[in-house]
Parts: sequence; C-alpha cells; structure tokens
Amino acid sequence: MRRISITAVSVLQAIANGHEYGFDIIDQTGLPSGTVYPALSRLDRDGFVKSAWEDEAGAHAEGRPARRYYRLTAPGVRALAEAVSFYHALLPAKPRAARG
Amino acid sequence: MSGWCDLMVRLAASLVPYGRRRDWLREWRAELAFVSAQAARRGRAMPVRTLGRALGAFVHAAWLRWDQWRLEMIWQDLKHSLRALRRSPGFTFVTVLTLAIGIGGTTAIFGAVNAVLLRPLPYPEADRLMQVFSTTIKQPDRIGGSVSPSDFNDWRHDNTVFAELAAFNTGSYPITGNGPAEQVRAADVTGGFFTAIGTEAHLGRVITKADDAMGSRDVVVISHGLWARRFGSSPGVIGQQVLINGVSREVIGIMPAGFDYPLLTELWVPLQFSAKDFETQRGAHYINVVGRLTAGASIARARAEMRAIASRLAESFPRTNRDSSASVHPLRDALVGSVRQSMLVLLGAVGLVLLIVCVNVASLVMIRGVGRGRELAVRVAVGAGRASLFRGLLVESLVLGLAGGAAGLVLAYWATTAIAAMDVSIGVPLLNQTRIDGAVILFAFGIATAAAVLFGTMPAWQATSLGDVVTRIREEGGSTTSDPRRQRIRSVLIVAETTLAVVLLVGAGLLTRSFDRLLSVDLGLNGASVQTFSFSLPEARYAQAALRADFVETLLTRVAARPEVESAAAINGLPLTNYRYSISTSTRDGVRLADEEQDQLSVQVRLVTPQYFKALRVPLVLGRPFATSDRLGSEPVAILNQAAASRIWPGQNALGHAMTIGTRLGLGGAQAGGRVVGIAGDVHEFGPAARVPPTLYLAYAQWPDDSMTVVVRSRGEPAALVEPLRGLLRELDADVPMFRVRTMDQITAAAVAQPRLNLVLIATFAGTAMLLAALGLYGVLSYAVGQRTREIGIRLALGARRGEVLRMVMAQAGRLSLAGVIMGLAAAVLASRVIQAQLFEVAPTDVTTYAVVAIGLLLVALAASWIPARRAARIDPITALRHD
Repeated sequence: MRRISITAVSVLQAIANGHEYGFDIIDQTGLPSGTVYPALSRLDRDGFVKSAWEDEAGAHAEGRPARRYYRLTAPGVRALAEAVSFYHALLPAKPRAARG
Repeated sequence: MSGWCDLMVRLAASLVPYGRRRDWLREWRAELAFVSAQAARRGRAMPVRTLGRALGAFVHAAWLRWDQWRLEMIWQDLKHSLRALRRSPGFTFVTVLTLAIGIGGTTAIFGAVNAVLLRPLPYPEADRLMQVFSTTIKQPDRIGGSVSPSDFNDWRHDNTVFAELAAFNTGSYPITGNGPAEQVRAADVTGGFFTAIGTEAHLGRVITKADDAMGSRDVVVISHGLWARRFGSSPGVIGQQVLINGVSREVIGIMPAGFDYPLLTELWVPLQFSAKDFETQRGAHYINVVGRLTAGASIARARAEMRAIASRLAESFPRTNRDSSASVHPLRDALVGSVRQSMLVLLGAVGLVLLIVCVNVASLVMIRGVGRGRELAVRVAVGAGRASLFRGLLVESLVLGLAGGAAGLVLAYWATTAIAAMDVSIGVPLLNQTRIDGAVILFAFGIATAAAVLFGTMPAWQATSLGDVVTRIREEGGSTTSDPRRQRIRSVLIVAETTLAVVLLVGAGLLTRSFDRLLSVDLGLNGASVQTFSFSLPEARYAQAALRADFVETLLTRVAARPEVESAAAINGLPLTNYRYSISTSTRDGVRLADEEQDQLSVQVRLVTPQYFKALRVPLVLGRPFATSDRLGSEPVAILNQAAASRIWPGQNALGHAMTIGTRLGLGGAQAGGRVVGIAGDVHEFGPAARVPPTLYLAYAQWPDDSMTVVVRSRGEPAALVEPLRGLLRELDADVPMFRVRTMDQITAAAVAQPRLNLVLIATFAGTAMLLAALGLYGVLSYAVGQRTREIGIRLALGARRGEVLRMVMAQAGRLSLAGVIMGLAAAVLASRVIQAQLFEVAPTDVTTYAVVAIGLLLVALAASWIPARRAARIDPITALRHD
C-alpha cells in the first residue's frame, strides 16, 4: 500500500481520536486550514475517510448550521495503523526504564 | 459570520469544480459560522486566526480544481491520442509493428539471458552454492577440473569455509524390471550432496551420510518426472525395490518437481568411498565437488583457503599433486561457463536493433508531427500551451510504446517457447528454463516505456516549439522550403541508424565467414548414412570381461547380418560428442617415461571394434585395422592417429613400436596398451574448431568396457534401422536398453549447433536492422521530396533536367548513408572485438567482410532512395506551382 504523509497521519489520528469535523481537526493537529482541508479531500478521494452531514435538527438545537463529519473507513484504519508503526520505527529507541 | 469571511469563501468557491461547489460552500460556511458565533457569544470580535483559516479555503478550492483537472487532462489526452492514432491507421500499424519487432526480440533474448544468467538458481540461498575444481598453478582460477577422491576427502576435512562439501559423478544407468528397460541420467552423490544443495525430498527422504558408508543398504532417490513416468506418481513406490544397473535398490525418496541437478538428472544413488579409496585414489580425477559456504564466508576467503589447502597437499603428495591448485566458483558460473559471453553479445545485438527501432519510430513520429502542423497550430491558436501540446504528444508516444510492448510480448512469448524447446545438445545450460515471468514482463514494458519516452520526447519537443508552430502555419499555407533544422535532425537519425545497422551487419558477416570456415573443416570421418545408439551392460551380470566381449561381438555380428547394413562397429566414446578420456603415456618401447613426459604425451583413449574405421570412413594411413583375431589373450595391439604417432615417435614410423598408458582399464592385470599395428587419419574428436587430440585406439575385444556406442553404416535411410536394432538388442538381453539414438549427421550438426544458433540470431537481427534502416531512409526522403515539391517544380520550370533532380535526391541519400557507413565501420572495428572469441579463423577486422557490408548497405540505401528520387523527377512543374 502507498505510504501516507505525516499530514495525513495527523489528520487520520485526530479523526480516530474523535475530532471529526474540519475546524476541530485543525485545532487538534495545529496544522493550517490550507493543509488540513486538501488532506481531508485527498483522504476522501482515496477512500480512507468518508463524510456525512450532521442531522440538521440536532445542529439547530445547538444554534449552528449542520456540520460535515468525517469517519475513518476500514482501509483508513489499516493505513493509519501501518503508517503509525512505520513512523514509530523511525524514532530512536526509548531508554528502558530501570526496574524497582 | 463576518462579512469578510463570507466574501472570501464565496470568492474561493468559484474555483471549486461545479459539481462539488454546493457541498463545499456549505461545509466552510458552517465551520466559519460556528467560530464567529462562539466569538460573538463571548462578546469578542472575530479573531484574526479565523480570518487566516478562511484564507485556507482558497488553497482547498485550488487543490480541488487541480485534482479534477489533472484526472480530466490525462483522460482527455488519452482519448485524443487514441482518436488521432485511429485517424492514421497506416502510421499506427507500421509504428506498432516496428516497435513489436524491437521489443519482442529484445524481450525474448532477455528471457533467455534471465534464465541462464540472472534468475537465481532454484535452490535456497543459491548464492552460497559453489563448485570447487581441481586446477593447476598455471591456471589456478580455471572453471572446470575434476577432483580426485583423496583430494576431496582432505578438502572436506581441512576447510572451514564450507558448511557442507559433497562429491558427485554424472552418468546414466539402465532401470529394469517393472516396465521396459530404460536408460536414465543418473548421479552418484555423497551423503552431504542434498544438504549442500539445500533441497528436501518431496516424498520420503534424500540420501544422507548414513547411506554413503561402505556396506550400507543400496538405495535410490528418483526425480518427480521419473516417478510420474514410470511409477504413475504412486506414493507406494517408497520402499519398493528397483533394479538399477543390475543392482536392486530401495526407493527412499522422490525429489520435488523441477529438481534435476546436476543437469537433467533423474535418479541419485549414493557414491561410496572406502578408506582405502581415499588413500589410493589421489591421482584419479573423476569426481565433481559442490559445496555450500558457511553463512559468513565470502568467495574470496573460500578461494584463498582452498588454494592454501591445495598447496599443502601439493607439498605432501608431490608425485600426484605437484602443480595442483583449486578454484571456487559460484554454481551458476560453473554451470554457465563460456556461454555467458555469447549470451551478452546477443543481448547487445538485439539492443542495437531496439535502438534502431527507436530511431526509426522517432523519425516516423517526427514526420507525422510535421504533417499535423495545422492541427497543432489550431490548438495553439485556441490557447493550448506548449506544455499541454507536449504532454499530448508524449501520451500518444506512450500509447504507441505500450501497444508495441504488448504486441512485442506476444512475439516474445512465441519466441521464448521456441527457445525453451531447443535441443539440450546446443550446450546452453538452463536455456530450457526460459519463460515469460514477472522480470521479463517488467523488462518488456520497461523498454517499451523507455523507448516511448526516447522516441516521443524529441519529436514532441520539436513539434511543439512555438517558433515552429508559426513556421508551420506558413508551411501549411504552402511555403516553399522545409525547415532546415528539422531536416538536420532527421539526417542525424538516418546516419545513426545506418551506423548501428553497419555494426550489426559486420558482426553477422564475421560470424557467417567464421561458420563457413567451421563447416569446411575436414572432420576426418564421414558420418552420412550412419546410425548410432548407446547401451550399457549392467555391471552385476557382466562382471567378467569375456561376457562383455561376447555380448558385443554377437550383437555386431547380428546387426551386420542385416541386408541393409553395410558395416557395424562399436566405440566407447563417439567423436564430436565431447567424450573425453585422456590417459598419460606410461612406457614407450618398454621404457618408462619421466613423470613430466608422461603427462605431455597424454592420449585420448578409444576402445573400438574391428569395423570402426570402415563404418565411419576414417582412413587408415599405414598398417592394418583391428582384426577378429585381436582378442583376449592374444598379443595386445594398438592403432594411433597421426597426431599421436608424430608426438610419441617424432620423425619415425610408429608401426611396430609399443606403448602402454597409465591405466589398467579397471581390469587388473597389465597396463593397457600394445604394439602399434596401424596409423589412422586424424579425427576432430572435439569439433571442427578444436585441435585434433593425439588418440590411441585399442581393440575392444582385448579391453572390453561395459558402456559402448554402436555405429551402423546403412545402405539406405539410417533412421529406418532404429527399430530393427532395438529388437536385436532386446533379443540379446531385455534388460539392456538402447539410448542416445542419433544419426551421425545429427551429431555433426549438434557439434556446431551453438555457433549456428548465434549466427542465425545475429544474422536475423542484422537483416532486421538493415531493413529498418532502409525503411527509415525511404521515409525521410519521401517526406523531404514531398516538402520540396514546389522547389523542385520551380527548378524544373526554370529548365533543370529530370536527371539532375534524380541525382540531387539520390546524392542526398548517398551522403547520409556514406556518413553512416563510415561511422559504422569505425564502430564495428571496436565492437567486433567482443565476438573475437566466437570467431574461427577470421580476424575481427576482416577486410572482405567490411567491404561487402559497406558496398551492400550503400546499394540498399540507393535502392531505398530510388522511389522518392523518381517521384521527385516526375513532378509536374505546373501542378507543383498551382499549389500557391
């Protein structure tokens, strides 16, 4: 499978952590909107995430327009796990904690 | 939401592809509305951060637009190029066909190279498998040199670089009982053999060290193919007894399908050595040694260590090992040996053809690009950029390249099937493994893409350069001259392909002359109408020499009694079959020779029956042939060939002298040899290109061997004798199968099969190259004449004669071809060195070949330019000028 970028990993991880709409993801990742939105569109195109509109009634109850929510698809979950372990392997090994 | 933010998002939305615009706007507005509502609730102004976020909408919108555009454009380009190619079916057909020839040829040869030289051998960690040879200090790194059991034993114990070192011997054994008798390729292997190779049995087990101890049970491992053919793939065969070479052996294992090491072996039996063998057999070189390096050992270390062991043995056993050394070579190199170079030459040759193909297609595409001037000009006029035109043309080239690659793969599939089916006698190991696999497909499409980029880029660049487009609009409007720059590039292409064609033609010419010389060598025998076959008497039942002698005498008497047989004889090893049995001369006229001289006077030993010389028409120069009275118990007699006679008794008549050789021929008793009763003509035992070896013929009846080849000269068609001969053999002993059934003509042809194959392939490539070069020249000239129609018309109108026009066009062709020929000849002088090793009695700078190629190619070039030149000369000035 094609390896996904750090940006995409951050976005996928944010969604996986329950931050499921654009500005929330931006807040979580600290990435600019001009980076996050194209990343979301690309992930959507490649089938790693899928999006759905929030229920209008629920949104109005909170006094705001309905949002677009993003969810990970099964390939997205797999890609995230693979990418995390790949990038993790690049990190220097942690010093082992001394036992009691 | 702040008005500013909304304005920005609205503006950005215009970039978003229409189909996605509504959703896009809704999403951005919802997010921004929420943020600004939050800010308003807290009674703050809209933070600057939010404005920054809104700016990101432009980036997002631009990205979406670009993403859509990218997909559409490629699709568009593809559709456009397919339509364009369909519009000119002639061009498409010729281009794809040309490419298919180039790619197909290259791929097929690559398939063979991949099988023989590149693909890993089908054994685990095959790169650690080595063959170890016994060599001399003069040629320590030689590939080849059989090993003595004593040396093998010391190597095995003293080395630290091999995890396993094993010995094996190859040959063939008759299988009898359970079905008709059949002679099968076999290997005797020591216990470590399968461990070294690393292959396990498919069923049962392999031969292990417990099996090669003297006195252990007689066992056999059989190949998957033999198991299927003779035992119907029944698993019950494990544990069964099978008669092999007269010995009853228990089948202990079946190897996996495809395992046939060494070289097409179908059964493996233990090779056993006694402690005494290891002590006494230091001078007897007859086994092969294969080993697996330990995990950390490098080849260099293995070489150094084996050489050190060999030199220690040379000190300890000076009589037998005086000048001995040892070499270590990867198993593949040992298998492939000398074939490597000719394979690479072939790959190089076919690569040149591919280059010519590219050059040719480049000029085709270029000519077409010019012909499409109006179309391109219109596209520029409606706003297409240079990049998009370039991309379009490149996509078109890629489509052509891939179509050519696919068609080439079909050609290659057909060719590789033919290559894999070639006779093993050609002597190219692993060639039968040639097939289209992932690597080959990748190669085909790799070169197709590379070729497409190569032939597509330059013309595409040319065709789209902006200045050009303007010129072209004028041209299409009927300009008088063609663009000199483009003409120059086409000229360079013509010169380049002529150069390449000359190189190939010179190579083919040299090989043709060399092959002609090979065929004109007098082999010293006449094999027409001679049928041959081999048989092997089971050791167990024919242990006594007299039984073997009787068997052969009876067989030959019965064969000779048939009316269609002119003469029948037997020999232990036929000429031209690479049979080698070299023994040192031990005594001359009763005097023992010094050690060094013994080796220098080594002779090839052949055991023959009396009619041998008559059956193969080998002339007897002096003395008499063997007679039926030369038998066991009578005075031993010998016949020498002229080469041996003049070496052993230089300047003397060898008749009446006596000699012995350094072997008892396994019979105990006296050393083999005898009084010279005849001198036979020289026979090229090892093929026309090899020197005639000194040869000693001994009377078979005096030294009866158990494996012989029968030669029968027929009065009619020799092949018609095969079935009657098989019947005669079966009548004598049903357990003695007939094998290696060939006519002498087949054997003679097989002896030159490899150079013949090389020649046929290179000549095919060269012929293709010449044809392509001629086509290229024709195409370019036709186009040039078409472009200059008006100019020529004006010349004719002003009084130029038609002959002058004809000469003018032909001179242009002549100049280009001459430049190509001169450069080609120079390149050929350099390139022909690589085939020097394949040339027989022809220098790589053979002047005749070069001259014939040069003149021939110039004539072809003139012929190719004749049609366009004549067309130019026939231009009607009125019609030509009316274009304006």
